[in-house]
Amino acid sequence: MAHVVKHITVVPTYKDFVDIVLSKTQRKTPTVIHKHYKISRIRDFYMRKVKFTQQTFHDKLSLIISEFPIVANLHPFYATLMNVLYNTDHYKLALGGINKARQLIDDCAKDHVKLLKYGDSLYRCKCLKRAALGRMVTIMKGQAKNLLYLEEIRQHINRLPSIDPNTRTLLITGFPNVGKSSFINKISRADVEVQPYAFTTKSLYVGHTDYKYLRWQVIDTPGILDHAIEERNSIEMQAVAALIHIRAVVLYIVDISEQCGHTLEEQLALYKNIKPSFSNRPIVIVINKIDVVKPDELPEDKSKVIEEFQAEGEPVLEMSTLTEDGVMNVKTEACEKLLAYRVNQKMKTNKVVGVANRLHVAMPKKRDNKERPPCIPAKIMKKKNAMEVDEPTRKLEKDIEQELGDDYILDLRKTWQLANNDDRYDTIPEIWQGKNVADFIDPDIMKKLEDLEKEEEARDKAHYYSMSESEEDEETQEMRKTARKIREKRKLITLESGEKRRVEKSRMPRPTKRSRSVAQLEADLGSMGVEIPTDADSHYVRAKTRSSSRPPLKKARDQSEAGRSRSQSRTPRDQSGLRDKKMVTKVKKIAKKAQKERNHMAKKGEGDRVILNMKPKHLFSGKRKSGKTDRR
Amino acid sequence: HFPPQPQNEYIELHTKRHGRRLDYEEKKRKREGRMPHIMAEKAKKLRGIRAKLYNKKRHAEKIQMKKTIKMHEEKKTKQKAEDRDSKYGNPNYLLERENQIRAKVLSNTIKQKRKEKAGKWDVPLPKVKGVSEAEVFKVVKSGKTKRKGWKRMVTKVTFVGDGFTRKPAKFERFIRPMGLRFKKANVTHPELKASFFLPILGVKKNPSSSMYTSLGVITKGTVIEVNISELGLVTSAGKVVWGKYAQVTNNPENDGCINAVLLV
Repeated sequence: MAHVVKHITVVPTYKDFVDIVLSKTQRKTPTVIHKHYKISRIRDFYMRKVKFTQQTFHDKLSLIISEFPIVANLHPFYATLMNVLYNTDHYKLALGGINKARQLIDDCAKDHVKLLKYGDSLYRCKCLKRAALGRMVTIMKGQAKNLLYLEEIRQHINRLPSIDPNTRTLLITGFPNVGKSSFINKISRADVEVQPYAFTTKSLYVGHTDYKYLRWQVIDTPGILDHAIEERNSIEMQAVAALIHIRAVVLYIVDISEQCGHTLEEQLALYKNIKPSFSNRPIVIVINKIDVVKPDELPEDKSKVIEEFQAEGEPVLEMSTLTEDGVMNVKTEACEKLLAYRVNQKMKTNKVVGVANRLHVAMPKKRDNKERPPCIPAKIMKKKNAMEVDEPTRKLEKDIEQELGDDYILDLRKTWQLANNDDRYDTIPEIWQGKNVADFIDPDIMKKLEDLEKEEEARDKAHYYSMSESEEDEETQEMRKTARKIREKRKLITLESGEKRRVEKSRMPRPTKRSRSVAQLEADLGSMGVEIPTDADSHYVRAKTRSSSRPPLKKARDQSEAGRSRSQSRTPRDQSGLRDKKMVTKVKKIAKKAQKERNHMAKKGEGDRVILNMKPKHLFSGKRKSGKTDRR
Repeated sequence: HFPPQPQNEYIELHTKRHGRRLDYEEKKRKREGRMPHIMAEKAKKLRGIRAKLYNKKRHAEKIQMKKTIKMHEEKKTKQKAEDRDSKYGNPNYLLERENQIRAKVLSNTIKQKRKEKAGKWDVPLPKVKGVSEAEVFKVVKSGKTKRKGWKRMVTKVTFVGDGFTRKPAKFERFIRPMGLRFKKANVTHPELKASFFLPILGVKKNPSSSMYTSLGVITKGTVIEVNISELGLVTSAGKVVWGKYAQVTNNPENDGCINAVLLV
């Protein structure tokens, strides 16, 4: 019923309810008041408390009342179901009680607020507030039982299956233990309990199945016994409610083997009894458990009953839920019947008339007597035939894999077709006689290459690729002229602006020779007695320039230092200024450590100092409670 | 395909089919074993009003536990019964009830005599603290310049009869505000221990002052007359009793209601 009834909030017990409201009052209203304040302030303080409590009670009770469904507004199926399960009178009384309590609380608050106006001392106001809150709590105490009852109902409603009374439905009825739940377990994914004792299914269950690309609801009901409606218990009444209110195709299941404990005559009698309740609906009579007793093997009197069933005028089908014999057939038959019935119903209503008038199927007129059947390729025909005959086309790898289980090896080469089939599993070399095998896949490849080159030469000669200017027309020539002019002009403009921006100040001359050099450093330190190893990796060695006057040295690739396959002309930025590998790793580690903190605060980088919320509420509000206070 | 929806008693069904977790019992046992620790920690950590409420609840629970423990232990222990009469040395089963102590008899007679002298009725609240005029009346300034202070407003709960009409406002000395006028009282029958919400017929006597009685001021200890036709009492003669006296037992202006005890 989850799609019919919206979410219902949990109904707390009386104690919890009162606790919640009173503690809310204590938290959300001011708590400090002194005797020496002005009397109007004192009165206002206590009136606020009374009103706040009243409002909170009112809101919570209103929520309960509004969320529980109104039985009269539901579909009659749900209304009947709720009556059967929860007794509508009791339900209404409970909700009425809650409503009354709400009203009483409002009145109580009103009275006490009126009295508070005459309060002339803090003590008197406080007593009046205490009396008001006490009265409200006592009113709620009277509702304790109702609250418990409503909570139970809420829990039960949430577990009811969601049955749509208007969609295509198959309804399964019959005596207890005939095989209704087994049937629904077979055709849908519902998992209803199946046990040998009667009344295993105690309430309605819903399953879904597909037929003709449509979704069908299947409703399993508890079994019904043959007695008058007044004597029926609440379990049977649920089944009756479903029978009466849901327009569905009814599958009446008969147990031919009489294992359910009731004879065929009894089942026939029950059928006749309940037939009037689903008078105008399609019915299918299903004989179940034919694996135990075959209908042909029945004795005389039993066959007579079967004949009487058939005489009712409804289709009688046979099935066995144990061997799954005939189950699909039953489903198909029932669905077809319902579809026809629904289409009929729709035709009867006025809505169809408007549409039917406008519908027209146009058949093309034949222009000659030639037969033009649909064109189906031969392979598809073969496949179709194979499907009908139900033979496997070829053994799939999947099947082989399932057969072999753990021993299975995927062998893609077994379908190769070579000149000599024994060569299938030979390894294919990649390099042969100094040449790539992949280049010679095609036996004519050399010839093709020559042809291609010849073609290229021919094209070159024919000036295929050069743009001859004489071939261009006047327009394009004009365009080219203007384009050239534009380019020249642009260059001039950039030069001019560069000139303008340049500031001609006196410049310091750069010495041609650097005053400090590595050689000098070495010499100085050497004279002092310190030996420093200078190799290309030292952090004080000048990086090699990339000027065009110096062509880059091509170094032979050596196996030293993994990761040095790039050019060694310049140290990468993250290693410049660092002595050795150990230092590099340490520096990296420190950098990451600093970054971690910032990442944790969702900062973009070290320069990100944005504070999104300058005044978070939790730091600027609240009462001075025991965490902060050590004296009062 | 949607997965099948959970219907009706799906939880119990699952437990029935697949059983519970292998360590279910152990987990349950350990969880219950942890409860005392959790409750103790909660009791230590809570502050403020919540702590008071929690402690009150726990105190009640502990009392109950102690009682049940004692009840169980009574079977084990034997109580030493006092089997001697303290004064005369007689054992319990030979005590004579006529041996009333003379002193007690004397004091009883004296008390009786005193009561008769005072002429006190047998009321539930024999002595009530008197209420001063400053408490009951509030000065209301009137006149053009608001200097005249002869008017008084009653700050306590009052009862005015059915046919009450105010005097013209100019001459009204005592103002009895409508908000403080009550017509009904919660009356408790002392023997039946049942309470009824009965209409007041009138104020019989206010113990503080006769002026209050005439004004109809109801304070603690006031004797009022209530309409008990609701109770359906009948005299021996066959007449229906419809009025009785009751004494007010609370401060109505502080509680917003009048609670009284019927004087039978």
